[in-house]
Amino acid sequence: MSTQPKVLVLTGFGLNCDHETAYAFERAGAAARRAHINALIAGDVRLDDYQILAFGGGFSWGDDHGAGVIQALRLKTNIGDKLLDFVEAGKLVIGICNGFQTLVNLGLLPGIDGDYTRRSVALIANDCGNFRDQWVRVTINPDSPCVFTRGMKTLDMPIRHGEGKFYAERETLQTLADNHQVTMQYALPDGQAASGVFPHNPNGSLADIAGICDSSGRIFGLMPHPEAYNHVTNHPDWPRRNEKQKRCGNSLTSDVGDGIRIFENAVAYLGD
Amino acid sequence: MPHRIEVTLKEQLLDAEGQSLRQKAKDYFDIDLQQVRTVHIVTIDADLTTEQVERIRSEIFTNPVTQVSSLAPLAVDFDWVLWVGFRPGVRDNPGATAVEAMEDLLHLKLKAGEAVYTSKRYCLKGSGVTRSDAEKIAGELLANDIIQQWAVYDRDHWDPADGIGFVIPKVKLDHRPEVATLSIDSDETLARLSDERSLSLNPNDIPTIRAYFMKTEVQSQRGKVSLSDPTDVELEYISQARSDHCNHNTFGGRFHYKDLASGKEEVIDSLFKTYIEGPTLALKAKKDWVVSVLWDNAGVGRFDEGHNYVITGETHNSPSNMEAYGGAITGIVGIYRDPMGTGKGSKLIMGSYGYCMGPRDYDGDLKPRLHPRRLLDGVIEGVRDGGNKSGIPTPFGQVMFHPGYLGKCLVFVTALGIMPAEIQGEPSDQKTIFPGDLAIMCGGRVGKDGIHGVTASSATFSANTPAGHVQIGDPYTQKKMHDFLIEARDEGLIRFITDNGGGGLSSSIGESARFSNGCDIQLEKVPLKYDGLDQWEIWISESQERMTVAIDPAHLERFMELSRLHAVESTVIGTYTDSGKIHITYNGVTCAYIDLDLLTSAFPQWEFAAEWQPPALRGLKEPVLGLPDNHAALILDMLKRPNICSKEWVCRQYDHEVQGTSVIKPLVGTGRDVPSDAAVIRPVLTSPKGLVFSQALIPMYSAIDAYHMTACTIDEAVRRAVAVGGDPDRFGGVDNFCWPNIHYDERKNPDGRHKAAQLVRSCKALAEMCTTYGIPLLSGKDSMYVDGHLPGRYGETHKVSALETLQFSVSGVMDDVCRCVTMDAKVPGDGVYVVGVTRDELGGSEYYELLGNIGLHVPRVEAGAFEIRYRSVAKAIDQGLLASCHGIYRGGLAVHLALVAMGGELGLEIDLAKVPARGIDREDTMLFSESAGRFIVTVAPENRAAFEALLADQPTACVGRVTEAPILTINGLDGSRLAALTVEEMKAAWKGPFGDLI
Repeated sequence: MSTQPKVLVLTGFGLNCDHETAYAFERAGAAARRAHINALIAGDVRLDDYQILAFGGGFSWGDDHGAGVIQALRLKTNIGDKLLDFVEAGKLVIGICNGFQTLVNLGLLPGIDGDYTRRSVALIANDCGNFRDQWVRVTINPDSPCVFTRGMKTLDMPIRHGEGKFYAERETLQTLADNHQVTMQYALPDGQAASGVFPHNPNGSLADIAGICDSSGRIFGLMPHPEAYNHVTNHPDWPRRNEKQKRCGNSLTSDVGDGIRIFENAVAYLGD
Repeated sequence: MPHRIEVTLKEQLLDAEGQSLRQKAKDYFDIDLQQVRTVHIVTIDADLTTEQVERIRSEIFTNPVTQVSSLAPLAVDFDWVLWVGFRPGVRDNPGATAVEAMEDLLHLKLKAGEAVYTSKRYCLKGSGVTRSDAEKIAGELLANDIIQQWAVYDRDHWDPADGIGFVIPKVKLDHRPEVATLSIDSDETLARLSDERSLSLNPNDIPTIRAYFMKTEVQSQRGKVSLSDPTDVELEYISQARSDHCNHNTFGGRFHYKDLASGKEEVIDSLFKTYIEGPTLALKAKKDWVVSVLWDNAGVGRFDEGHNYVITGETHNSPSNMEAYGGAITGIVGIYRDPMGTGKGSKLIMGSYGYCMGPRDYDGDLKPRLHPRRLLDGVIEGVRDGGNKSGIPTPFGQVMFHPGYLGKCLVFVTALGIMPAEIQGEPSDQKTIFPGDLAIMCGGRVGKDGIHGVTASSATFSANTPAGHVQIGDPYTQKKMHDFLIEARDEGLIRFITDNGGGGLSSSIGESARFSNGCDIQLEKVPLKYDGLDQWEIWISESQERMTVAIDPAHLERFMELSRLHAVESTVIGTYTDSGKIHITYNGVTCAYIDLDLLTSAFPQWEFAAEWQPPALRGLKEPVLGLPDNHAALILDMLKRPNICSKEWVCRQYDHEVQGTSVIKPLVGTGRDVPSDAAVIRPVLTSPKGLVFSQALIPMYSAIDAYHMTACTIDEAVRRAVAVGGDPDRFGGVDNFCWPNIHYDERKNPDGRHKAAQLVRSCKALAEMCTTYGIPLLSGKDSMYVDGHLPGRYGETHKVSALETLQFSVSGVMDDVCRCVTMDAKVPGDGVYVVGVTRDELGGSEYYELLGNIGLHVPRVEAGAFEIRYRSVAKAIDQGLLASCHGIYRGGLAVHLALVAMGGELGLEIDLAKVPARGIDREDTMLFSESAGRFIVTVAPENRAAFEALLADQPTACVGRVTEAPILTINGLDGSRLAALTVEEMKAAWKGPFGDLI
């Protein structure tokens, strides 16, 4: 890799996963900067200076009128064209949780037929009717063009949301499937499809969808939080795994959490 | 003209909110609803064109994929419509963000007085649903009349064109603010004024206050600023500053303690100085990691070379008891401001909760304002929104049920923060103010919220008067302020910071002004939510999400620039001086002029009579019980007890992973469903160091003796922290007392002296435990008057007092989070050990409670012996010898063996005869005694010798082994099989009571 890719992580207005998202990118070898949405809108921070834009988790504007709705409106109204230029320039965008909700409200996802302004999918209230914190297992579609998930088969991560049910009309779902844009799906512990079964599919997402990408694979949104699996001790099973490893005479070889692979893939892509 | 937008989900989509309501109507009231659809209503009271509103509707409030909307009422089918909206003046968070979005979209600013109000209507379908059912759902499930108004429509009374009409809950006070001058010609007059104005002045304070205003020197100085008699601003200020909440008069009081058995008497001059400050200062001198205690908003300990951590805890009982959601969200968001206002400000890293409630299924004759079930739902949701929307993990918490909390519930909230050890080369824990520094108020605006506490009197309601002074916390506004202040701190712009909580500006300015010795405040500069507040109201309002900051005037421009960037309102409201006076003006006219040292001088100490009658003399005794013969059923029934069973539904609503720091989660084990002894986080992502955190609440022992309640509570909190790998040398504590009224009154509080004695005894235990365990008290608070007067069946009222309650929190730094252990059994073949002695100590136990007894033999802590034991266990964990470690707490050995087995989804084969015990000859005592100082640990075969050697001087025995077959097998004292329970049936019982809740 010739130069360290530069990542912009948005902050402000109730966003809250900016520190660990920036840390995850740094851990993956990127140079991350946290910047307030207003600094971006005012032009004090320029998108042109970055190769990756990260929309992180949180409760932007309190999520009072649909998660991510006002953040998307705010960005579209003020810097919508710059965002489209950023995408046009072949750069990378990731939206995690509230960021995913923002991307679908902006229309950057799913971006069917290259239309990055149309809202065609939604993330709505969990079927269980409440906010939920729980680790999930996702399987990754090997045919997906998504650059963030290359070489990955499954991943464990926490979900922490009240509005994570993926919804789209049947035709849209079919198009997403046909284009391999369904990147990530909730699964049972053995890797079989969750088939909508709670709590493995924690929110009632149609087709167990946990994350999607655009057709280029450079824009990626997901409800689970890879940045919250930045260290081995984040995983709920680590004390058991650790004990069993000890019995085999092994100790932890690395303290990096598997969630970092998502960010490493982004860094590797830009290094190619 | 107002506009209204109605939004609802497309018909084919599941309405999760409606579904939840349907479920609750069934579960709580057995009302069958076939369908509930929710309609969100946005009422815009602003001068906009229909075209503009149409744009707002389509671009902000309607998701084309999932929603339909209209400016006219939507035709959603119903048998009943329930409408719920806020009362005037109640914080409408969605309304406020709607304004932000509209202004951004339309590139305009709403005019003063224009606003957006949100409300909802629920369209119910149900063939058998009566009006009284519909009103029950509206009034008892959806709306709380303190903050909300509601209406019920049937089909005949619903106008499809007009819908709910236009309800504009705008505050109109029509009041010209004015300062009143109050004559206090006699003590009686001042006492009368205190009653009339709800000043709650202590009768003993009245002569001191009058004497101050009568002093010639004071009068002549006041004459120069055109003041004579005290103003309402001044008296309200003194009342706030002298309140028990702000001044801790109870803990600073003089206690005349008498032991009625021995006749021994003693006088304790200040519980705080004797039992809290003294031991803590002595420990601070010995523990170099203790950075700052006893003066700031929270305590400060060293985390590592480059960081300090900050901790404090408090309660928000009375407001939560009146309005569960609002009280609880205000509580959690409020406690988060304490670390923000500690030193030069810290970033929040964690919160926790503790709820003490009446029985969730209470169906007795007493009528609390809110049924415990509803109260608990609201409190859970309030802390959920407050914590989650603040982006702060909530990885620990407890829920406790007892009928004593029917009178008033307890809502404990705890907050931890972290800050760099130095800010621009200066220690982060220190702060001061220089004369000439600017006083700035940041964050929210001031309204009538929280003035003189919450009132439930519906007589004060009208269409446009602010409702009941209830506060609703706004985590969104506070999160913006938090991010802003951390950035300002890092740039070195903050000289001093403190929060606006109880007492509002009067408290934050009053206390901060002591650092420079004076201030000039211009009250007219304080931004208000609405016009018409009197000056005294501005000064003492407890409106939320505000911090008071002192800055060097040279930094003003940059401070304000950052404030604007973060969309936070900051206003210079005055200047700090060294005049010795608090000088308040309004449009240039003085309305308060008080010597700062008045409040630290010469007020008489409160006096309390405390009489202790030992439990046996009070008639408590051990029950006479024959031996049970069905231990399997008994253990399962113990697992179903509300204070023991699974409360997973609460934990899962709280984000415990945000910030990416989670190491030991609230729920652990193979099924990720069994509560951990303690939480561990890794607050500095680049460091392997961790913070362990635990809490305990065992108020039931207070029925026997609050001394032992306190000792056991502290012991449990410490043992919890040890069990996951905490280092006993680095534990700090936080004490939160919640006590019923201790003022003796022959008719109103006949057992006041007993409750006072319990408080003295509790404080004695606190001091002894902290000294022996070496735990400095980093922070603490007290909340007195946990009593309620509840109507009964015939309209008579009953005084219900809470158990004397202490929540104790332990925090501590650990060097390497990878050495932590969890409580679940991990590998078949491992040895199961019990560390610590089981004694005949069933007094106040869950077992006795199940059988309807209290008993006498309350568990006792042998602090000296336990302290050595905990070091050995900590060493065993540090050396990696333990596969699992779990303390034995409420419910005793049987319950906690069950939890270890359920955690690992493995079996345990246990011989009770091998369990270290003293004075026990029966199995039920062995199984359910709640003796302190005990652990269950599992050890790999290859580590057993090393472990046994390390614990050689401790009562430790291998009592069985871990088995592959997931069955808990317990053999009795004679070796015969007592019980064999599968993990599956134990989980079914343990999850039974609350397992359906989500």
